[in-house]
Amino acid sequence: MSVAAVTTGLGKPKSSEATPAADRRRIRTAFAFLAPSLVGVVLFLVIPVILVIILSLTQWNLLTPLKWVGFSNYANIFKYDAFGHSLLVTAYYVVLNIPIQTVVALGLALLLNNKLRGSAFVRIVAVLPFLATPVAMSVVWTWFFDPTNGIVNQLLGHIGIAGPAWLSDAATAMPIVAFANIWQYAGYNMLFFLAGLQAIPPSMYEAASLDGAGKLSQFRRITLPLLRPALLFVLVTGVIGSFQVFDTAFVLTNGGPGNATTVANLNIYNTAFQGFRIGEASAMSVILFLVILVVTVLQFTYFNRRTTYEMV
Amino acid sequence: MASVTTVAPTAATKSASKSGKTSVPGRGLRLTGYYLILLIIVIVFITPYLFSLFAAFKPLGDILGQSPARPPTSPTWANFRQIFTQDDFGRYLANTLLVTVILTIGQVTFSMMGAYAFAKMEFPGRDALFWMYLATLMVPNVVTLVPLYVMFAKAGLLNTYWAILLPYTLGVPQAVFLMRQNFMTIPKEVMEAARLDGCSESRILWRIVVPISKPIIITATLLAFVFGWNNFLWPLIVTNSNSLNVLSVGTANLNSNFADQWNLVLAASLVALIPMVILFAIFQKYIVRSISLTGINR
Repeated sequence: MSVAAVTTGLGKPKSSEATPAADRRRIRTAFAFLAPSLVGVVLFLVIPVILVIILSLTQWNLLTPLKWVGFSNYANIFKYDAFGHSLLVTAYYVVLNIPIQTVVALGLALLLNNKLRGSAFVRIVAVLPFLATPVAMSVVWTWFFDPTNGIVNQLLGHIGIAGPAWLSDAATAMPIVAFANIWQYAGYNMLFFLAGLQAIPPSMYEAASLDGAGKLSQFRRITLPLLRPALLFVLVTGVIGSFQVFDTAFVLTNGGPGNATTVANLNIYNTAFQGFRIGEASAMSVILFLVILVVTVLQFTYFNRRTTYEMV
Repeated sequence: MASVTTVAPTAATKSASKSGKTSVPGRGLRLTGYYLILLIIVIVFITPYLFSLFAAFKPLGDILGQSPARPPTSPTWANFRQIFTQDDFGRYLANTLLVTVILTIGQVTFSMMGAYAFAKMEFPGRDALFWMYLATLMVPNVVTLVPLYVMFAKAGLLNTYWAILLPYTLGVPQAVFLMRQNFMTIPKEVMEAARLDGCSESRILWRIVVPISKPIIITATLLAFVFGWNNFLWPLIVTNSNSLNVLSVGTANLNSNFADQWNLVLAASLVALIPMVILFAIFQKYIVRSISLTGINR
């Protein structure tokens, strides 16, 4: 027993009473335990990733024979399917969504990180939207922002402002899609900042204020740097999710007006499942994957550099 | 308490009150301001639920004619009756429940077994396989969408419950990773002792590991359930028959066909939203904790 207890972590130790037969039985059991999730991971994640690259080099509608076309899809989706435009639209959504969502989440965390009566309740309430079915909540937002019957324009009407057409107006449609997302995930992201705040030892603030540091400089010199891991997590996961936005855009605007909100994922959906152009849709998926990958790597690099800089 | 003093000022600098030292009346004023802000936050997060709840029990005329803040004067089930009889929302609700429950049970059970193997068993190739799981964790959903559809189409599984369920039911790397990290903290001696007593591995998993890991299993269960319930894009593309619609797809269809019938589409939305509110009310502590856990682990 003690032999096995000493071994740690990732090595491959022999268990104490190992006979070859017992070993074999144990390995068989381990693979039996692993089998379902292994089949799931290989079949539904590894193979599709390989397959999407192969499919992106073909022209195929699932019915007629598959045709190899090399890399031409990668040029054609930009030429004929306005994929460049939908990437820009997606980037616009990310730029609208991520900074506001992050600031709101951080603000909520700073505001609610205390033991005052009521704060705990508000913390809970802020997380509730995280569970809301995006499709269903988008329907509610469609009603709120309806140009004539919506509560937003009714309220604006009371103070004498003629509200815009919101979802039917190219200028306001995307901000509302972003708003729907911010509303849903602000409280969720707040939790990571709260966890980060609670990990900061109070003695750091005490020492700083003894040194005469003001509250603002404490926030900039202590709070923000120590929240960096939480900030990185919120940004990275938020950006990855935002580049794949679909449900809200589909229900709120279905890409319109015109193609003002045709995000990349919506373009992929239309190309693959309305047009049945599997090759083109696969090429779009690969490009979107690369975009997400590059942006994620950039964030990590930036944060690493900034962290070292701050530490010096 | 220290957190109070660090927090209030940063909030206060934003609201431009820079009354450095707090005199007693100043403090009262700030507290009032604080609760006013809290009230606004609660209103922002609750209003969409509350107003759609009111609207779902009003006839269309009242929704158009009254303030949405006004509770229904004579509440009516007519909207729900209509979407459950003339549309098929009973069926959609049953489909959603069926799919979500099977998906959740499968995902949690199989991920747990995988997590136990990675955390507490020794077998050749363990580290390489674990790295493969980790790598797939980074793959965005959108990448696998088209090839998965092609695979299901070629397997003749489109328009089946299998198509909706299968990709998420055999275990997902997120859940494996979450539980593996937790199982790693169980002292090795526990397993060794049980093995010496002649316990089989599955007995150890179900009788020892599961009972002491209840919190993390509840966490994985809640995350799987919420995912299954809210999932939209995948069920949308692999099914095109009414009898297989889940709530999210049924609601989106209703919304695109009867966009101006607010009484109906809001009632439909509520059928999807309310169960999640109830789930949240029961498990809010677990859900809040679950989210923090996934953050730390990732």
